[in-house]
Amino acid sequence: MENALPSSSVSSTLEPVLALLAYSLTKLETGFYQIPGSAVVARYVKSSHQNDPGRTILEVILIIFAIRTLLQSRTRSDRGGKHYIQFGDKEVDELVDEWTPEPLAQPLTEWEQKELASIPVIAGPNGPKPKLVSTGKTVTNLASYNFTGLAGNEHIKERAVDTLRKYGLGSCGPPGFYGTIDVHMDLEKDIAEFLGAEAAILYSQGYSTVSSVIPAFCKRGDIIVADRGVNYAIQKGIQLSRSTVRWFDHNDLRSLEDALQAVERDRKKRKGPLTRRFIITEGIFERDGEMVDLPKIIELKNKYKYRLILDESISFGTVGRTGRGLTELYNVPASQIDMLVGSVANGLCSSGGFCAGSTIVVEHQRINGTSFVFSASMPALLAVSGSEAITYLRNTPSTLSALQENIRALRAVLEKTEGIAILGHRASPIVHFSLRSVAPASLSPASAATPAGKESFDVDGEERILQEIVEDALANGVMLTRAKYLRKQEMFEPRPTIRIAMTSALTRKEVEKAAGVVKASIARVLSRRR
Amino acid sequence: MALRPSSPASSLFSKKKQPLTTAASYLSAVHEADQHARARSIDRSSSPTPNSTPALSLSSSVTASSEDTVLHEDDESGLNYPWTPPTSEQVFSTVHTEFGHCANESYRCVSQHDYANPVKEKEIEEPPYYILITTYLSYLILICFGHVRDFFGKRFAKKYFTHVMSHKGYAALNSDFDSFYTRRLKARMDDCFSQPITGVAGRTVVTLDRYSTDNNWTQIYTGTKTRVLNISSYNYLGFAQARGGCADAVEESIKRFGISTCGSRLQGGTGELHGVAEALVAKFVGMEDALISSMGFATNSTFIPALVGKGCLVISDELNHASIRTGVRQSGAQVRMFKHNDMENLENLLRDVISQGQPRTHRPWRKILIIVEGLYSMEGTLVNLPRIIELKRKYKFYLFIDEAHSIGALGPHGRGVCDYFGINPRDVDVLMGTFTKSFGAAGGYIAGPKTLIDALRLRGQSGAYAESMPPPVLTQVMASMASIMGVAPPTSQSSKSGVMSTPSSTSTLRLGYIESEEHPCPAPASAIPSWLSLPPHLQDGSEGRTRLRRLAFNSRYLHAGLSKLGFITYGHPFSPIVPLLIFNPGKMSMFARMMRARSTPIVVVVVAYPATPLVTSRVRFCVSAAHTKEDIDVVLRACDEIGDVLDLKHSHGERWAVDEICKRSVELVEGVAAVQAA
Ligand SMILES: Cc1ncc(COP(=O)(O)O)c(C=O)c1O
Repeated sequence: MENALPSSSVSSTLEPVLALLAYSLTKLETGFYQIPGSAVVARYVKSSHQNDPGRTILEVILIIFAIRTLLQSRTRSDRGGKHYIQFGDKEVDELVDEWTPEPLAQPLTEWEQKELASIPVIAGPNGPKPKLVSTGKTVTNLASYNFTGLAGNEHIKERAVDTLRKYGLGSCGPPGFYGTIDVHMDLEKDIAEFLGAEAAILYSQGYSTVSSVIPAFCKRGDIIVADRGVNYAIQKGIQLSRSTVRWFDHNDLRSLEDALQAVERDRKKRKGPLTRRFIITEGIFERDGEMVDLPKIIELKNKYKYRLILDESISFGTVGRTGRGLTELYNVPASQIDMLVGSVANGLCSSGGFCAGSTIVVEHQRINGTSFVFSASMPALLAVSGSEAITYLRNTPSTLSALQENIRALRAVLEKTEGIAILGHRASPIVHFSLRSVAPASLSPASAATPAGKESFDVDGEERILQEIVEDALANGVMLTRAKYLRKQEMFEPRPTIRIAMTSALTRKEVEKAAGVVKASIARVLSRRR
Repeated sequence: MALRPSSPASSLFSKKKQPLTTAASYLSAVHEADQHARARSIDRSSSPTPNSTPALSLSSSVTASSEDTVLHEDDESGLNYPWTPPTSEQVFSTVHTEFGHCANESYRCVSQHDYANPVKEKEIEEPPYYILITTYLSYLILICFGHVRDFFGKRFAKKYFTHVMSHKGYAALNSDFDSFYTRRLKARMDDCFSQPITGVAGRTVVTLDRYSTDNNWTQIYTGTKTRVLNISSYNYLGFAQARGGCADAVEESIKRFGISTCGSRLQGGTGELHGVAEALVAKFVGMEDALISSMGFATNSTFIPALVGKGCLVISDELNHASIRTGVRQSGAQVRMFKHNDMENLENLLRDVISQGQPRTHRPWRKILIIVEGLYSMEGTLVNLPRIIELKRKYKFYLFIDEAHSIGALGPHGRGVCDYFGINPRDVDVLMGTFTKSFGAAGGYIAGPKTLIDALRLRGQSGAYAESMPPPVLTQVMASMASIMGVAPPTSQSSKSGVMSTPSSTSTLRLGYIESEEHPCPAPASAIPSWLSLPPHLQDGSEGRTRLRRLAFNSRYLHAGLSKLGFITYGHPFSPIVPLLIFNPGKMSMFARMMRARSTPIVVVVVAYPATPLVTSRVRFCVSAAHTKEDIDVVLRACDEIGDVLDLKHSHGERWAVDEICKRSVELVEGVAAVQAA
């Protein structure tokens, strides 16, 4: 199950074998009709052909194709191609000598080096008030994903040590080959029950989950309708799926409906066959904290007969009364969502990701989810930590209300801050803010000319200002982070923001104080700029 | 196909001591043979063998296993206690079920390439024609039956088929050949896959017994457990342990650092341990710098796109791992494949692509990256690194080696293929590997020149988006790695005795890389955190060395033993991955079930199409340093008997009887090189 490529090492011996096979088949056929009951089979084949001739043809083609791939050398060059130029050996040697490749990686620019050096390193455990290696000082942490304050939870740590003493650390194998440990199955069951889904499957890294779930279902020729603002993992998943994509405007369900209608019109016009169709979006968007209107999207998906892949990496474990995510917040049964993807790393402060759905959907991924099949399962103690976190959330709804209260406190301060725009839904545990006015053109005129999306902004200039704010806040005891992206590789360039990750582990007072520091830093930096 | 998956009625899961009255005849035959074998091996072990060398000296003996690690079972299977009880001066630091006790110093070897007398990979042997024909016929019959069942099923049992048919305006969720294959071929032997376990996947493992009454559609768990010999996990150096120095270190780190670092490396998820571990990994592999990612698969799939892009060419071995292919597909670079490990084919391809340039435009390639694996996980073959390095000098491509399976498992110092071949790692551009295998941890690393790694920190997807590696996992990596390297005693009073004590160091993602004069060298004491204290036998690297040498012995012994028994095996004779060819899909599941039904149950990995070519279904053994020589004997005896029943011995080489093999194992292993060279 590891290397899915059929090799061609046997191809040379195959030809006589196939000849022999053909011969024995004819022999077999004559023999076949002498077997009692053979007529029934023959009739079946015929009737199957009658019912669905296309299918028989398809199968024959498949078999031929399989044989062809087996026989064909995968390494053949396109020597016959019309663009092929014939060279002599000498000429090739010369060309080889002349060729100079680019360096494997371009060295970092000065700005990138500064960025790398500016990453805060935490000494000791992470949490609401970690100590930094650089200064040895304690800071208030508004950067790390510790939404429900589970980092450093003593009970979870104890359970993790117990698990370590029973299971060791690594699983030393992919799930298919003795890497499925009972605690994995327990966590899968816990997640499924927590959400009210039929089943769930556990991946060993949150980020790699959705980019594996999408190509497991969406294939070439299928249709994906996706939000423009989806995170990078989804974008990569869509790219890997090779499906036909249509983008709708960020979190705009009117635009979604237009797209759905357009697809339908297209299909009617082309009279194409029924293909699989998917809507892909996020619960709470990682890049700006917007929240999707789940009931409305479910209505649309049912109306137009799409399947929904919903990425709840941010919303799972952070919204709803007990942190079950959007389904709890909107009171929608999880069974309405075909593939519900979430993160064990973010919401449950452990590691890994999951996809919940029907048994069929989940079992399909156990064979077709590439990063599930081809990767070792997650360490047992991390799975147990995830299970314990779910138990904690179930039993302690006050954590979620504390988180919401902190979010409100933070937003209340930031809303009164001049020069910034707060993005996203008011319940979102991540709060992004960008600069309000377009930065002065003098900062970096070159990049101002690249409009992305509807508004135009100067990425480099804004990033520099935001970075100053981050550093100023850090000097005053609050750890922030800019939202980091692979610039120029995101499908739609996001506007630079600072991303605050709220936690329930701080008191309301502490949040207000920290927000005050952020506010002061913003004011200081912006006034310096003007 | 003859043998249905077991049900509780058949004796597969009943207590092994019961007579096998209801089982198929082969089962009782196997059982009987097994009893004989066991009687023999007990005889053998009771005869006094001179075992005077203490393997490890440690003050506290852990030979007596705790409740956690041993089920309340009588030691029928020979898994819980060593055949040869340790003498009073032998003190073992491991639990026998996790890491077997073996004090005999002659069961050791060094994994190293001998340029004067190179060990060649075995020629690929072809099975007799009738095997090939029956194999194809099996598939043909399976496919026919599958279609018959689909035909009736879709008409009369609609509710089981909704996902493969379009209904209510939805297209089928999965309707292609893959789905047919999974439902109709793989499902027949699903009981051989995804077997859940509990506890440590060490030398032995405890499986949760299950059976199916509906053709593997669902599995029912009986609630009972069985301890089995584990020759399937990627536990090459035996670091999958719940006891011992590494686990102690991990426990300490959980107390100090918690479970999670809460975020991606660039967004609030970088802890002090990341930098320390990365510096240690760089030292271990002999590169300037290294970067750690929380998943091995993602190391390939997220960093390869940062290395190449449009206008670049990736030349990839045809058997490369799925993670590599995922990464390459995301990168937007052109891909060409060369025949597995075929250097001539590679050179021709190189001449072709460099002279032709990019398709149509004939512009020269921006860069060419060759991606190979150190040790191939399905074939057990080793990359021909010396030749590739020669080609690299001439053709100026960049070289990326995925050492997922070879790191730790090969080379006299466990530093992977470069170490095995005695090649300077800096001759390679990028070394990638995973911690899931030899280190008993999780995640992966990518190592190379500092400029490159720094670029990957920022421009790789992992830095910005993926969760960073949790502290317990980092600790397992550091502890196991340090015990392979050995820790050099601090030379002078170095200022960098621990990270906690250097708050003045600049706030960077990594610690300064300390340039070493020679590679491979022990880890300087400053390279691991001061709180991470390893017991003396790990600290001085003696146990690490023993593990490496035990692994080398076991690998060679199993390879040589299986060949002498007459099986067709693939791969390099020194590789810890030993594929044994089965061919027939039906025999594959039989093999797995029969191995499990023995009095010393053994779990094996069987693989077939699409992981391998259609005909060459195989069972893949992964040898570990945790196995004792007696464990390998047990596997050889089992293969011998099952191989006779299933008609698997088709090799033309010289054959020995299994007793002879077990007796002359050392000779056999030492002879590998000599015989091969002759
Ligand atoms: C060659 C190769 N690369 C990468 C991986 C993925 O590693 P991990 O299991 O740590 O995700 C594997 C694992 O099976 C592998 O064999």
